[in-house]
Amino acid sequence: MKRLLLLLALTGGTVLARPPKLETHLQPTVFAVTMVMIHDVVNPPAASRFYSYCLLGAHELVSGHSAIPSPAAFVREFHKPELNRTGNYQLAALYCILETGRLILPSGYMLEEEEAKLLAALRKEGYTEKELKAAVVAAEEMAKKVLALAATDEYSRLSTRLRYRPLKGEGYWYPTPPGYMEGIEPHWKTIRPMLIDSCSQFIPRPPVPFSKDTTSAFYALTREVYSEGRNLTEEKRFIASYWDCNPFAINTSGHMSIGFKKISPGGHWMNIASLATAQAGISFDKSVEILSLTAMTLRDAFISCWDEKYRSSRIRPETVINRLIDSRWQPLLQTPPFPEYTSGHSVISTAAAELLTFFFGDRFAFTDNTEVLFELPERRFSSFRAAAAEAAISRLYGGIHYRDAIENGQEQGYRLGQFVVEKLQKNGVRPAR
Amino acid sequence: MHRSAVLLTGLLLSPLLLSAQTLFRPLPVTQTHIDFSNTINENEGLNVLAYEYFYNGAGVAVGDFNNDGLDDLFFTANQKPNKLYLNQGGLSFRDISAAAGIEGRTGAWKTGVSLADINGDGLLDIYVCYSGKVDEALRRNQLFINKGNLTFEEQAARYGLDHPGYSTQAAFFDFDRDGDLDCFLLNHNVKKYDNMELARLHKETDELAGNRLLENQNGHFTDISQKAGIFQYPLTFGLGLAVSDINQDGWPDIYVTNDYNEPDYLYLNNGNGTFREDSQHCFRHLAQFSMGIDIADYNNDGLPDVLSLDMLPEDNRRQKLLQLQENYESFELMTQQGLYKQYMRNMLQLNNGDGTFSEIAQLAGVSNTDWSWSPLLADFDNDGYKDLFITNGYLRDYTNKDFLKYWGDYKVRKAMNRESVQLMDLVLAMPSTKLANYIFRNNQDLTFQNKQADWGIQTPTMSNGAVYADLDNDGDLELIVNNINEPASVYQNMSRELHKTSYLRLQLEGKSSSIGAKVTVYAGGLKQYQEVFPVRGYLSCQSQTLHFGLGKATQIDSVLIAWPGRRVQKLTSVPVNQRLVIKEEGGMTPAKLQPVAGLFRKVTSPISLVHQGYNENDFKRQPLMLFMYSQTGPVLAKGDVNHDGLEDVFVSGDQSRAGGIWIQQKNGSFRLLSGLTIGDESMSAISAAVFFDANGDGWDDLYVAKGGYSLFEPNTPSLQDELFLNDGAGRLQKAALPDLSASSKSCVRVCDFDNDGDPDLFVGGRVIPGRYPLAPTSYLLQNNGEGQFKAISVPFSNIGMITDARWEDLDSDGRKDLLLCGEFMPVKVYQNTRDGFLDKTSQYFPSEDQGLWMSLAIGDVDGDGQNDLIAGNFGTNSQIRASVKEPAELYFADFDRNGSIDPFFNFYIQGKSYPFVSRDELNDQMYAMRKKFGFYKDYADATMKNLFTPAELDKTQKLTVTELRSVCYLREKEHFKKQVLPLEAQFSPVTHTLIRDFDGDGKTDLLLFGNKSDNRLKIGSIDAGYGTLLKGSGDGSFRYVRQPDSGLSVTGDVKSVLELSSGAGTLFLIGAFNQPLQCYQKP
Repeated sequence: MKRLLLLLALTGGTVLARPPKLETHLQPTVFAVTMVMIHDVVNPPAASRFYSYCLLGAHELVSGHSAIPSPAAFVREFHKPELNRTGNYQLAALYCILETGRLILPSGYMLEEEEAKLLAALRKEGYTEKELKAAVVAAEEMAKKVLALAATDEYSRLSTRLRYRPLKGEGYWYPTPPGYMEGIEPHWKTIRPMLIDSCSQFIPRPPVPFSKDTTSAFYALTREVYSEGRNLTEEKRFIASYWDCNPFAINTSGHMSIGFKKISPGGHWMNIASLATAQAGISFDKSVEILSLTAMTLRDAFISCWDEKYRSSRIRPETVINRLIDSRWQPLLQTPPFPEYTSGHSVISTAAAELLTFFFGDRFAFTDNTEVLFELPERRFSSFRAAAAEAAISRLYGGIHYRDAIENGQEQGYRLGQFVVEKLQKNGVRPAR
Repeated sequence: MHRSAVLLTGLLLSPLLLSAQTLFRPLPVTQTHIDFSNTINENEGLNVLAYEYFYNGAGVAVGDFNNDGLDDLFFTANQKPNKLYLNQGGLSFRDISAAAGIEGRTGAWKTGVSLADINGDGLLDIYVCYSGKVDEALRRNQLFINKGNLTFEEQAARYGLDHPGYSTQAAFFDFDRDGDLDCFLLNHNVKKYDNMELARLHKETDELAGNRLLENQNGHFTDISQKAGIFQYPLTFGLGLAVSDINQDGWPDIYVTNDYNEPDYLYLNNGNGTFREDSQHCFRHLAQFSMGIDIADYNNDGLPDVLSLDMLPEDNRRQKLLQLQENYESFELMTQQGLYKQYMRNMLQLNNGDGTFSEIAQLAGVSNTDWSWSPLLADFDNDGYKDLFITNGYLRDYTNKDFLKYWGDYKVRKAMNRESVQLMDLVLAMPSTKLANYIFRNNQDLTFQNKQADWGIQTPTMSNGAVYADLDNDGDLELIVNNINEPASVYQNMSRELHKTSYLRLQLEGKSSSIGAKVTVYAGGLKQYQEVFPVRGYLSCQSQTLHFGLGKATQIDSVLIAWPGRRVQKLTSVPVNQRLVIKEEGGMTPAKLQPVAGLFRKVTSPISLVHQGYNENDFKRQPLMLFMYSQTGPVLAKGDVNHDGLEDVFVSGDQSRAGGIWIQQKNGSFRLLSGLTIGDESMSAISAAVFFDANGDGWDDLYVAKGGYSLFEPNTPSLQDELFLNDGAGRLQKAALPDLSASSKSCVRVCDFDNDGDPDLFVGGRVIPGRYPLAPTSYLLQNNGEGQFKAISVPFSNIGMITDARWEDLDSDGRKDLLLCGEFMPVKVYQNTRDGFLDKTSQYFPSEDQGLWMSLAIGDVDGDGQNDLIAGNFGTNSQIRASVKEPAELYFADFDRNGSIDPFFNFYIQGKSYPFVSRDELNDQMYAMRKKFGFYKDYADATMKNLFTPAELDKTQKLTVTELRSVCYLREKEHFKKQVLPLEAQFSPVTHTLIRDFDGDGKTDLLLFGNKSDNRLKIGSIDAGYGTLLKGSGDGSFRYVRQPDSGLSVTGDVKSVLELSSGAGTLFLIGAFNQPLQCYQKP
């Protein structure tokens, strides 16, 4: 069929009917950005920041169409750019995702090939060279504006700040095996959020205090992680692996270390959002808006979570269990390199699920095939909230979080998600259907 | 065998050929018929992922199995049959493996080999170790008893030597000196522990991984490990084993290397059937991933030195590509748990003769030989000094960081294409790099020189076990190397042919065994010491025939043999160039050595304090610095606070207590002055202190300067110095000072610079916290006579990172001039004139030696009536190299304009200057670099020109270092002449020097203190100095006094030294970071 179209195009003459919808390109385009982040081993909070910028330009480009309000109305410090708005804004929006990624990601050069591939595909679909050229120009212009915004969000000053030095005292986080990596992004709370007021707007209740007393609440929490880990059912084991989302798990054998890579938690939810828009047959414009707002929500949820992580600097279960209960115990999942409280996956999944529930409703069943690349099957969920709840509890099964970090993290994510939804509603953002 | 048909032709070399000849000549298989190869077969089931010591290689043993006077060769192969080659003479061998019955088990994994006459029948037996992830039955070690007709019979079970653990190698020696050979069996675990909280595993015993000491009880070997004090932890990763009488008490000691985080063990023989592990007393740090080991006296002082190998590459590219140790949290966990300071590089532990060792591999030039296995210290050029051969290579570079980081992408791509991933894909994806083995010539001055090219050791191989032996009985040592996937290398030594050197070969025939005999040969003015402990190197066993190179000597003055049974035999006037067989005869028992009394005597410190400093990590603040600046204490100063004619002492505080003054009592004891605390180390750090009479009332006042780094901010009270004025009744009260808090300070030097009759102060600026390496502020404080000070404008207020200063009237105009030194600057001179200070550096120090100067001391060392200068520098015992021709350079600027200074240190490696920073550290400091250096290989060859554009580089500032050695600047008429201090003074940074005629011979001597452990992990702890006494010869030259003779054994980073008069005479009080106050007396 395609070939036939191509043939017709080459032979020229008749004007082709407009090719169907651009939205089929959306998921692969966002995923191309994801692949570069996997290559670069971008850490989870940084990944959410990159997603938010990669989608912001596209979001702005589709605004004003399909009753979509401009993000400039509600995104902190983002002022509506003055742009030449002729041409096909959808093409520009699509291209802008890659172009922003190209400029902002460490190995952004890898997206040059994706850009070329996208243009070639669009050409085949019948877009004219002139249209495409105009779209590229518009996208490049928009991407530069986005980069200018990104340059002022304090990210560039992270390297000037004090690196994390483990706090002295028993209950505090210390790097964990096997890599003993330094604490990731101790100053992430300084990054400017997009939708929420400040990093400390949704401070969760404090963690159960550390105690070595075997009758203490903390010890009970620890024992729960330990016994869960030792008595994992196949299903729980599967759930833990399904939501592992560790961008870089180090496997060692003697002197050899290999990094096994997975999509980050934020990347996983970006893909869920892509899949949902496709399954629901949402228009291109609305899909871009949903993806962009998902990215912003994830970004802010990470900022909120990371604020708490380095406030409480709580010790990981692996460290406690090894010291107090079983020196050889290892969690099913590799403990990620930052403090325990609250669970990042719980905060960000819950927040993202609240946003997506706003768009799609609470009974939107979907099939997630994100993890197929990482040797796990497709998984069907009855709703976003069900998926988020599973992502949260998976951290207990995986042996990397205590229950209070999960439950209080869910609450933190829920409050944040609700705030975001209210704010968006106030600014005229509407559900998808 | 087709090879048997090949006739050997004696190789006749023309003299012409000889002149262009390298010392070693590789012999072709066609000549030697040694076609052995340790061939490794990897497949989906059998590979390095299943057994992590898959590429560790195999061993070689050399010995005369048929007692025909020719050394034969035995090779183990991991998977293939063992091979035994009979020496036919003329460097030709015959493979008799099959007939001899020594090929070993198939389907098993063989490791090390050792030879000994286990049953005492005069014939060498063979013990082969087994390991690998195979069935226990396949892992039992084998003992091949020599039947005398070149056939062997496996009898391990009968002797109790069929151990089923994971064995590396065994050493047979008579540990209890009861006349039979016992066995130390070295084992290793096959499962690495990723968790570093390992101390708890020191409570466990692992039957298969733990080492064993087996006592020979009437021909049966009985495990006495527990009783004898041998550790058998699951953490045992034994890769190297050597036996030596390290402490020269007559009892053989055992050194065991451990891979990974478990430190090496030094078992000192208690002489009562037990051992004590003493490594942390003897050594200041160890190799982390220790592999092979040799113990031999390489500086001809009669004391065995220890060389253990690790895997640090020599070239910049591989240093940047492969994983290095850069994790401060891991390191902290390691040290907290008593796993000691371990660094990834070869360690050469020079035996000081007093139970301590100075680790000087970097100074000696042998620290970086890549993934190394076998060190062999032997005299290859027959000049009387032992040279060094090191094998290296690893089949797969699996510490390659690109592989670590990006192999995962390959897996994801495969998944996207729906292709399955095979384990072997992973194995084969690992790059493989063959390397040439290293050979070094002994420079006869504690250092070595690389002779790979000159001596003809240049073929890239993957080499493991190795031996040296005089295979052709011509008086020089051949080298035989076991290679992976390639025929064994046999190098003929041409020393005799080329240079007509002299030698002596000694074959000892002891009443029981010659193993354990110790021989000292005196010839040609040299004293050479060797021990018959053939297991040394890696998985291999050397000949029991000792070889001594004798240079140009024509006669041996004497040969002293200490037999294992304690008897000593002496031969005199022995002719050179012979193979001498000596049978153990009567002889005498040695006189017990009386310990020599040193010049200094360690005494109990009259002030008993253990310094407990804050262990901050300054690199968390500025990750690209070279050193930390937080560790400033303990600071000591003396003065007579209560005016009773006795010297009192100020000791700065630490995390457990505040600083205070200790008042000397009439009986020489000290009592802490109550009601006065000086400084609060939780808020600030005292870095210097001085007593002086600030207000001219005749009573000593105290000035303390503040330094440190980690959490202190410039221009805050943390960095404000303090002055305490004496009220004339021995009470000190805080007095006002101007604001002096711009930076951290290093030193305070008192001088009435303006000749107005009151003491003024120079206060040196060390560093600006958070702003390294910008020049901090130094102050000249002018006294108004009342103890009130004013900071006056001087040209040296922002001259550099000052470490020390001295006032000295260099131009004899009655006004004292200022000498300054510091990091990345020369020793500077400011002439004190009526009109101000003038920079006269280039006049006094024409060469302007840019150094990492640490200290200055002044005294007349050559007796010409003019004061000379001792300038303590960083030393040459580190990775850092610098000279005028190849300067080290520090570029700095806020390259990415984010408000932080980005300092990039560069120095030359193999003729080219590279940034010291790793790719990860670089990308973490400057995010823009992530785009430039996505892969480690992109960064591996990068220089500053690749990091920055010419325009960017134009805007940077640059500091340089051209001299790292501590020197004596001898005063000549108009300037100072540089004279480099002896090599022993370059072992570590010199932070304090005392100039005095210590030995009373009328000539001025030097006493140096130093060490520096608060460095980047890639530099590591530089701690080879124990207090270095240099005896002056009166003309400005100095000679090192051995530690037992000086009596000094000072440990730690010395921060302060005080010469104190007390009732008991002069005491030397030494304050070192995190150490008890140490005290020495000169009787």
